[in-house]
Amino acid sequence: MNIIRTENLTRSYVVGNSTVKALRGVSIDVDTGEFVALMGPSGSGKSTMMHILGCLDTPTAGRYLLEERDISTLSKDERARVRNDRIGFIFQTFNLLPRLNALENIELPLLYGKHDGNASQRASEALKRVGLGERAQHRPNELSGGERQRVAIARALVTNPALILADEPTGNLDSKTGADIMALLVELCAEGHTILMVTHDAKVAAHAGRTLHMQDGEIVNGEQIHVVA
Amino acid sequence: MSLLNTLLTALRGISSNLLRTALTTLGIIIGVASVIATLALGNGARASVEANFRFLGSDQIQIDQDLQMDKGQMKASGKPLTYEDGVGIPEAAPLVDRVEMKVSGQAKLRHGRETEDLGFQGTDAGALLSVIAEGQVQPVGWPTDKALTPEAFIGQGRFFSTAEVLGGDSVCVLGYQTALDLFQGDDPIGQTIWVNRKPCEVIGVAAELEAVNVQDRIGTRPNEGIFLPISFAIQNLFSEEPWVTVIAHVKDESKMEEAKAQIASYLRERHGVTQDADGTYADDFHMTTKQDVLGAQLQSAATFSVLLTALAVVSLVVGGIGVMNVMLVSVSERTREIGVRMAVGARSRDVVAQFLLEAILLSAGGGILGIAAGVLTIPLAAALNQGAALLDPRSIPLALGVSLATGLVFGLYPALRASQLDPIEALRYE
Repeated sequence: MNIIRTENLTRSYVVGNSTVKALRGVSIDVDTGEFVALMGPSGSGKSTMMHILGCLDTPTAGRYLLEERDISTLSKDERARVRNDRIGFIFQTFNLLPRLNALENIELPLLYGKHDGNASQRASEALKRVGLGERAQHRPNELSGGERQRVAIARALVTNPALILADEPTGNLDSKTGADIMALLVELCAEGHTILMVTHDAKVAAHAGRTLHMQDGEIVNGEQIHVVA
Repeated sequence: MSLLNTLLTALRGISSNLLRTALTTLGIIIGVASVIATLALGNGARASVEANFRFLGSDQIQIDQDLQMDKGQMKASGKPLTYEDGVGIPEAAPLVDRVEMKVSGQAKLRHGRETEDLGFQGTDAGALLSVIAEGQVQPVGWPTDKALTPEAFIGQGRFFSTAEVLGGDSVCVLGYQTALDLFQGDDPIGQTIWVNRKPCEVIGVAAELEAVNVQDRIGTRPNEGIFLPISFAIQNLFSEEPWVTVIAHVKDESKMEEAKAQIASYLRERHGVTQDADGTYADDFHMTTKQDVLGAQLQSAATFSVLLTALAVVSLVVGGIGVMNVMLVSVSERTREIGVRMAVGARSRDVVAQFLLEAILLSAGGGILGIAAGVLTIPLAAALNQGAALLDPRSIPLALGVSLATGLVFGLYPALRASQLDPIEALRYE
């Protein structure tokens, strides 16, 4: 099954009186359990792509199907719902809430939607999964960079999403810690999670099963691309 | 997000900067305290009228002689308000059901070799009912839950009758202590005493009385005195025509002003009071109702209340703007947090709820402190308003409501602004 299918996605911004095209008809497919890297220089449109795939933004034209459901036309609240339920985010800067401890940060998505089971128990399991079971009560400023990213990964996992979106997950980490994080993501993929990772680092992208290259708002490596006219 | 979680999140938001929070609520504290004090003033005025004029029923008009200072003595201005004036009122003023009258003065009492110089009261036969209505004294040891009757005030003999009042009979009722002083333990009933050299038969002795309020028991002498029929007193105990105090009972409480007008026109005619050039009357009497006294008290409280109300409004607006300001700062400081919350699934309404609840908690906290401050301010307000300020219990929920409303109104804009943030921009915010 395709977790992600996009058909001719276009996104343009109006800046002053000129129109900037960030995406110029992008069509991709990602299967369940795949680990896909999206590479490209800055300005290539990979962040815009990531925002649309993450339901934070909507395309100007084209279709985006997540788990075979068209979500390019959803309302703001419906997109919030999809983000809460089906998508987990991992950011370069971790984006943990400083006043919440590790466990509370992980619980956060569970509070914004209907989820089975006991929230703190699920959060605690997610924290164990990333190997930080004993750090539950620590606040982000009491954790190392690698530990913070593990907490962020646990937060992305806790709702059991269809898709994990990682935006430069190792960008703020030293290479040793970065390698640990990549190893964790590879493990998660092996367990059946679908991961789409945005990066500009070829060495990081090498961990993925497949790499899509973007340039000037288009996918430039031809293989496995479905171009819909 | 559930209400409980929203509440916990909002509480966490507030507690992150306690000093700023406390300073923000100062305006609300002052505003709410002013609301409490304002209402306490009105309430206090009402309570003080209740306490000081409880003997004056709401269906009663008290008519008094208008007095002037003349060479150090209080003198009647114009013609004295006479017993005959009072007697004619029910007929001349159809709204008046009946009148009670009394005079008072000083008299010298003598029996054998014992003499007493004391205050007397010339009254109607129903004087003891008025004593009960005034509620100042009771028989010693009277149980609080037992209703008083005129009979309970009589220790020996009886009170004088209406026939004796109309006939101007020379009879009297003595105070408990006065009887002891004059008769030294002998039975006074049926004996004759001399009141200002007029003979007068003792027909009754009052029971031993005490002030109802324990704190009034020192300094009052309820057992010294003498009651005489008003007609006898007027004829025998004054060198010139005395003025009387008239209590007029009005049939319909809703027509007090009409009743006053009827009485006034009757008395003006009898006293020859004419209209001045500017349309007013130089009355030689004045009339008082409970509503008048209350009105005057409320008037004096109102001047002060206007200032306090203005202070309350200004403070609440300033306080509300303070809340709005601190919430805008908070939204801006926590832009990234808002972005994260939106990314993990917070809807606009979740964000609105979080920040709105924070604003409301902030102002409610100020409201609670303000209520405490207001209650503590009441003694000060009382000192500035002749002791009349009393906490109005209704003012507490009102003040709390006002502070909650302030939080709601002034927190809405920052909360809406937070909810309209673009999550992508918010996540990038440094």
